[in-house]
Amino acid sequence: MGCPCELRIYAGQKHQAQLAAKACMDEAARFEQKYSRYLDSSAATEINRSAGIKPVEIDAETYAILKYAGVCYEQSNGLFDISSGVLRHVWHAQRSELPSEDEILRHLNLVGWEKVELSDQNIFLPISGMELDFGGIVKEYAADAIAALARTMSIRHGLVNLGGDISIIGPQMNNRPWPIGIVHPTIADTAISVIHLANGALATSGGYERYVEIAGKRYSHLINPQTGWPVESLLSVSVVAEQAVVAGSVSSIALLQGEQLGLNWLSTIGLKYLAIDADLHCNGAVGRDSFSSGSPSAHE
Amino acid sequence: MKIKSKSSHLLALTSAALSMPAFSAAQPVETEVSVRTSLYKEENVPADNIIFGDDVRYDIDIHQFSLLTPVGEKWSLGFNAARESMSGASPWGTVADADGAATLIMSGATISESRKEFSLSTQRYFNKSSLGIEVSRSKENDYEADAIVLSTEWDSDNKLSTLTLGMSYSKDKITPTDAILFGRVLEKEKTSQSYSLGWTQILDKTSVLQSGIRVTKHSGYLTDPYKLRDARPDERLEWSVNFRYRKFIESTNAALHTNYRYYEDSYKVRSHTVETAWYQNIAGNFQLAPNLRYYSQRKASFYLPIDDYTLPLTTNQSSDYRLSTFGAFTVGLKAIYNQPTWAVSFSVENYKSRGKYSLTNAETEHPALLSFSLASIGFDFRF
Amino acid sequence: MIWLRLVGTSKGYFVKTNSPILVIGMLLLAGCQNIQPWERGILAKPEMQLEVSKLGGQLRQQVYFANEASTGGSGVAGAGCGCN
Repeated sequence: MGCPCELRIYAGQKHQAQLAAKACMDEAARFEQKYSRYLDSSAATEINRSAGIKPVEIDAETYAILKYAGVCYEQSNGLFDISSGVLRHVWHAQRSELPSEDEILRHLNLVGWEKVELSDQNIFLPISGMELDFGGIVKEYAADAIAALARTMSIRHGLVNLGGDISIIGPQMNNRPWPIGIVHPTIADTAISVIHLANGALATSGGYERYVEIAGKRYSHLINPQTGWPVESLLSVSVVAEQAVVAGSVSSIALLQGEQLGLNWLSTIGLKYLAIDADLHCNGAVGRDSFSSGSPSAHE
Repeated sequence: MKIKSKSSHLLALTSAALSMPAFSAAQPVETEVSVRTSLYKEENVPADNIIFGDDVRYDIDIHQFSLLTPVGEKWSLGFNAARESMSGASPWGTVADADGAATLIMSGATISESRKEFSLSTQRYFNKSSLGIEVSRSKENDYEADAIVLSTEWDSDNKLSTLTLGMSYSKDKITPTDAILFGRVLEKEKTSQSYSLGWTQILDKTSVLQSGIRVTKHSGYLTDPYKLRDARPDERLEWSVNFRYRKFIESTNAALHTNYRYYEDSYKVRSHTVETAWYQNIAGNFQLAPNLRYYSQRKASFYLPIDDYTLPLTTNQSSDYRLSTFGAFTVGLKAIYNQPTWAVSFSVENYKSRGKYSLTNAETEHPALLSFSLASIGFDFRF
Repeated sequence: MIWLRLVGTSKGYFVKTNSPILVIGMLLLAGCQNIQPWERGILAKPEMQLEVSKLGGQLRQQVYFANEASTGGSGVAGAGCGCN
């Protein structure tokens, strides 16, 4: 997953916890093997490799994930687009000068979910060079899937934390909710806010960790798939929802819209959220208690 | 961006998310075993109501066992067994007493009879649906029944609605005891087919409503061979509509249950049933659930309160109290203690039926209308 | 380089790692008496089920079938008895 991950399982019997933990780890590895962009053997790599060549057969799980990506595309009016990954080649970290319009246009030709041909049996990326980036959905979905798996093994207390995307298996052993700290965007090892969750999920999207600095200005790694330019937006958005995958999409879509529209989107979506803008102002209903050490952090 | 209604974006995303495999587990994930023992006792018939026979009515001990286990990732297997032992007397017929009111002729009390029932079921789970089949057999010294049930369930994409379809077929055979001695039929059969359609809808985070319709046809020997004078049509068509509503009240940490059923058949019996229960969570892992049931039925068209021996047996007739006009109240209380891997429950209820409790005007009250008490203790295990 | 860090809290130990491998944090609890069985979502609570006790429901259905003229509730029934 390329990030620090944590699984907490609490059970009355060691044997039960061990069995469940092993199953969860196997499931996490399975997602990694299947959707990692960096593994030659993954289904994701096979899809990207066949761009412009031929359709690739997909299974029910991959189809469901891609269908979900399509719904995110529709609900965000095209801003959330998993085919926009190629734009990272333009805005890579070693870049020292701004790209030309031509370079951007060339890459924009390879972007566009509407170009992707998806059926319940296979997927075809029609232009060579097109790429799908599953990372924006699979990490959160994996957290949900692993939590669901733990529950099928009778685990009723615990949580799954994949690099800040948290899916809760159940509350703490004493039935109290988990205190979860949302990491401060600029001050290391500090939480800007703590939220208590007994069920559901929390996902955080941020533009502050990965960026490229050109001529003294920071450009975030979140690129608008329609203009090809990085978004100037909120610093960090955390959302609470029943499913981590929904929380993650809602927070990503908020970020992609820029500050004003993003705050608008969050205030009408019907979920609890914390949105931190560039001036470190906090918006949203997520609480502001002080951080207590020992609780899982929502971002490492 | 166009601002749509407050939660329509959220609804679209959540519906799409829920159709992903991680959220679709309907298969039982643990093995569940349940056992239950119950005591059923009918009140004696008031002495004034009897002209002949025993006044002691049924006393039944019931033992039930159930096992349900997942098999692999897509199947489940179920096994149920039940055993009953009963003793007591039952009404044979009615005659007019000196004032013309109906009085009972009761049978002699049987010492003890027993019934055993077994059923085997299996279910296959798909992404959004499941298919199930169940076969069962019931056997007692004068009655044998075999049945097969097919059922299927379909979830909607957003997982808020479920459609259920069921079909069953059964064949029963009755060989009345002491047939020659009492001039009863030696052996008769009947078959039944039933079809049901149900719709379960999650209304919101705290409530769910199920509605259903069921149609049944019985054919064959439907008469009660133990009655002194009883002749029924050889076909009975029944249909019923029912609703079940469950609502969780967060402020009091309790759940409200309400059921309603309307029933009608070709005998012209019509009934309404209303049940309600309040499951109150109490400190620790206890639950207390008081419950109430009200039932009202209108008599069958061929019901007569007093057996008429002048009517030919080709004319439908019956003085069975179960086909008369009456109403009934059940008051009960259930106590449950829950632990993660096991639970124990204890329940008691009392039933009273009277002609005057009916919504329809009961011209007379059948002398055999009864009251009973039922007490059960049950254990559930999950592993 | 993979690092592992053992963190102790009042609830037990868990291990943090930077490798994409998940690590178990588990606690052997002495006596689970005060733990509430917890299911995800209100609708999954045992008291919210359409049929709270399957065996209880079957028993009641049979008792009423033996004493009243109506049958049915939801779904179709299995093998009958000679009680009606």
